[in-house]
Amino acid sequence: MQTLIERVVDGVWRDECGAQGALFKLLARVIEYEVDQPLLDSLRGELREPLAEAGAEVPEDLLTGDPAKVVEDLAVEYTALFVQPGAISPHASVFQTGKMFQEPADRAANWYRENGFVFTHRFSGEFPDHAGVMMSFVSALFEREADALDRGDAAAAQVIHETRERFLIEEMGEWVPAWCRTAAQAAEHPFYERMMNLTGRVLWDELTQIVPPRRLRELSEKNARGPVVVAKDPGFRKASGL
Amino acid sequence: MNKHFPMSRRGFLKLGGSTAAVASALGASRLQAMEQELGGKDFSPVTGKLREAVPYTCMVCNIQDGGIAYVEDGRIVKLEGNPDHPGNRGKLCAKGNSGFLHTYDPDRIMTPLLRTGKRGEGKWKRITYDEATTLLASKLRGVIDRANAANDPSIRNEIVFKWGRDRSGGARGRFMAALGSNGQVGHTNICESSKKIGLEPGWGPDIEYPDFASTKYALIFGGNVVEASYFHNPLAQRLMDGKTQNQTKLVYFDPRQGNTAAVADEWFAPFPGTDVAIVLAMAHVIMNEKLYDDAFIRNWTNVTPEQLIAHLKSYPPEFAEAESGIAAKDIRRIAREYATTKPATTFSYRGPCKHVYGAYQEAAIQMLNVITGNVEKKGGYCLPRGMGYNQPGPKPPGGKAPSILGQPPEYPLAGHQVSTHLPYQIMKGQVKMSVLMTYYDNPAYTYPSSHVWEAMYKDEKLLPFFASFSPYMSETAQYADLIIPDTSYLERNDPDSMPSDLRPWIGIRQQVIKPLGNTQEFRESLLQIINKVDADGSLGMKQYFPFKNGEEWVRAQFEGIPGLKEDGGYDYLKKNGVWPKYGKIDPVTNQIVDKNGDEVPAEYGLHMKELSAAAMDGASVEANGAIKKGGKTIGVRINGKNYAGFGTGSGKIEIYKESYKKYGFNPMPVYKRLASRGKKADELVLTTFKVNVHTQSRTAGVKYLAELYHKNPAWINPKAAAAKGIADGDLIRVTSSLGYIVTRAHVTEGIHPDVVAISTACGHSAYGRLAQLKLKDKAEYVAGNDPDIDNNVWWDDKGVHPNPIIRLQVDPIGGSQGWFDTVVTVSKAQAGDKYGDVKVSLEEAMKDYEETLRYAYTGDMHRANHKEVDIDWNSLPAPKAGGGH
Ligand code: SF4
Repeated sequence: MQTLIERVVDGVWRDECGAQGALFKLLARVIEYEVDQPLLDSLRGELREPLAEAGAEVPEDLLTGDPAKVVEDLAVEYTALFVQPGAISPHASVFQTGKMFQEPADRAANWYRENGFVFTHRFSGEFPDHAGVMMSFVSALFEREADALDRGDAAAAQVIHETRERFLIEEMGEWVPAWCRTAAQAAEHPFYERMMNLTGRVLWDELTQIVPPRRLRELSEKNARGPVVVAKDPGFRKASGL
Repeated sequence: MNKHFPMSRRGFLKLGGSTAAVASALGASRLQAMEQELGGKDFSPVTGKLREAVPYTCMVCNIQDGGIAYVEDGRIVKLEGNPDHPGNRGKLCAKGNSGFLHTYDPDRIMTPLLRTGKRGEGKWKRITYDEATTLLASKLRGVIDRANAANDPSIRNEIVFKWGRDRSGGARGRFMAALGSNGQVGHTNICESSKKIGLEPGWGPDIEYPDFASTKYALIFGGNVVEASYFHNPLAQRLMDGKTQNQTKLVYFDPRQGNTAAVADEWFAPFPGTDVAIVLAMAHVIMNEKLYDDAFIRNWTNVTPEQLIAHLKSYPPEFAEAESGIAAKDIRRIAREYATTKPATTFSYRGPCKHVYGAYQEAAIQMLNVITGNVEKKGGYCLPRGMGYNQPGPKPPGGKAPSILGQPPEYPLAGHQVSTHLPYQIMKGQVKMSVLMTYYDNPAYTYPSSHVWEAMYKDEKLLPFFASFSPYMSETAQYADLIIPDTSYLERNDPDSMPSDLRPWIGIRQQVIKPLGNTQEFRESLLQIINKVDADGSLGMKQYFPFKNGEEWVRAQFEGIPGLKEDGGYDYLKKNGVWPKYGKIDPVTNQIVDKNGDEVPAEYGLHMKELSAAAMDGASVEANGAIKKGGKTIGVRINGKNYAGFGTGSGKIEIYKESYKKYGFNPMPVYKRLASRGKKADELVLTTFKVNVHTQSRTAGVKYLAELYHKNPAWINPKAAAAKGIADGDLIRVTSSLGYIVTRAHVTEGIHPDVVAISTACGHSAYGRLAQLKLKDKAEYVAGNDPDIDNNVWWDDKGVHPNPIIRLQVDPIGGSQGWFDTVVTVSKAQAGDKYGDVKVSLEEAMKDYEETLRYAYTGDMHRANHKEVDIDWNSLPAPKAGGGH
């Protein structure tokens, strides 16, 4: 295996940063907001093949259905999965403390602030510790690292690199993989099921690259907190007040 | 002896003893005892930082106690009672203490939701507040345009607002008045409306203030004030003050042994609905044994002792014994004790009044205080002291056409509406509804025969558009087309006041934190909606809402309160939470004391305040002493003096109620045998009750409270249980004429042998995953999201809700639902029965509507039950829309 320095020297790492940045951006986008027409177009177009290769094939109904209806159906699924009561809350506070907007939200906001970002709402009910926003932050750090490398600023790249790794380990590693698994199991539409599985895999893969084995075992245990098997019962969301 | 420290234990002790003698000379250590004062300050246990303290008014239940919220890093971390609040005096109940969990509940609705699937299917799309208020405004505008085009203001009544716990300080009423609709339906008839109608015509206000702290004798009927009922917390404290500091004797009547029964000196369990027979018998004893206050009756009521003695003739204690099961000798003894122990007071809450003819029950209980002259005395039965706030002008004129929805003309005395009738009126096509808005209201859970509401909500023809302002996915909100979530009560602005002490107060609800996650308080949504319905101002609505935001609106409501401005006005309230400040709470006596430690006295004898010459200017005095001015009674002349009197037409306490008689009801308090009293020997009467850690419907998802109380087995007496072969914990069927529920038996001596009692607050089919306990139903639910639910929920029983089998039957006078009048059979569960099964018939429920109308003043049962009333039965007033007082 090459060292980081060697990879940078080879220019491989710069490309990897760019690619990872883009991948995290796509996954973040899917988690942060509902699919809209431009994203659907990309899913039908340039993203279709690479997603299939990554094991997250774009489901048939997304490819062929009336775009407006597909967007509408996915919005309903998105709301059920991530927003409405009983959803698989994408917020670290809920996942870790059982309450909305607790310390994890402050920590996330601090990370963003210290790195020159501010968290803004689009809808009400969104907080800085949203898994999608965290993914988006990682993506931005990948991009910044690539930019620094482009500029030849290895020192800056190193700082960003370390920041990103720390953020991944400290703020995401303990819960986002498990959350992805839970959300994938709860998803009723294969698009979200596949995208959540993909997100979980990408994230875990990233963690395995950067986390020493003992800590990885710890993270693995934390993430083992398990969702139970969900029967895809049509009454599932209704009676539970979801 | 220790080899390192050559001193024995004895030696240590000796040194210690010597040191103790000189301890004061050693000075203070750096280590200080933790703050032990009566609240008002709080520190972070981690950083030691002083937490920001923001006062607010609780609204988990309806008592509106004052609290201080402690905020750390923008988060509410702890709530405690406001030590300067005269009502709750620094203490909150368990519900109040855990109130901040409402704010951070992961199952709270945080963004407007638009229905996309079938009603109740659970399919939603999130939208913004702007989109949501635009949509609702367009629906409202559609109705208004239709009304204007047809030049028919009654069409505007198709805009309906149904509310439950509305503490919006008049915001909802102002909004509806601006829209020009009288389609406004509250919830009071499932609460205590017959108490109000038993009291209001008698003396003005709708409730009493029993001065427990200073009384010597408290006689309570069906008011479990130690753990629920009205003014719980403030009154529970005062009752305990009385018992500990004043040796108050507490005598309690309730078919169930709740905590008030547990602390009572004597507890009696009457047959449900027979309290009034006991009370009338006590009055009989007091009058016949001349234990009454002759002067008070003659001066201050509209009856004479002779009339009372004549009226009470048919209620000897033996009669009451036969009806209630309470021994005549006890009734006599308690009547004598009550009449001769001074001061004394009664208190009652839903127990007596939540029956058919409940208004008679309440009027009778009030009468006990009147005939013994305990009214407005220290330690007696006092008028409530509230404080009003402003509705800033200009005020909207209101709807032009009367509406009968939830206020049917068959109930002219039911001034607090008959909201239970709403779905029946709609389903029978008597009233049309185009847009329904609901606020803090969950009839699909909270109403009798709750399945009837559910059927109405599901029908898009009957209910074309349904918007809810609920921040929780309740059994009702789940059927909405649009949800525009309000915030929790800790993130909103309201004025509030409650007569929870003899010293009146006004309090503030303010945004302790900014609305979480950019959610929007109810008032803001109302402002947005009005500004969209009347975007160009041409409908003349916008002018009534010149407020930039909720806070500005509330600030205007506090203007013009005499004396407040001088103390700092709205800003004083923001800082202190409550006004005025009467003094400090003495931690030993719990009394409000001044700087010298002397108790700040409360004012008594409000009715005896003499009217000023200015007040009398232009007034006239009628033959009965009533002082009239501008068509209103402003006081009463007694023995040549002009007193403020009571809020009735005569200025006196009207034991004889002319208004009742006008519609063929008995003007005097009477006992009417209820159908449930004639039940068969093997049947039981189903009653419900509230517990000390829950509201009726809104707290099952609050984690602290759910852990404390989450299942509600049916209380059944060992005798009744044995007769049916039921053992404690057995699965049972409770069956009424509507159908059955399957629950478990809690076999206990603490319940009348003819009663089965099931608490509210449990058995939710909506309201979030904890209330529904879906996590235990793993076949259809995902765990692994909320660690509290994954790891800390050790119970697997959410209880069974009884309301679907409770029959609609209302008091024809006060309009109250007879919650405790449903006759049931209880049997061991049958093969195939599952815990939580509910099987009920809509058809049977619809029949109950027709049946209960027979008891209304227009119905055949009314005449049959009131043969003694001397009126021309053929000349009763015709039913009239908007005729309620
Ligand atoms: S009684 Fe409890 S819930 Fe009700 S207002 Fe007081 S503290 Fe709040």
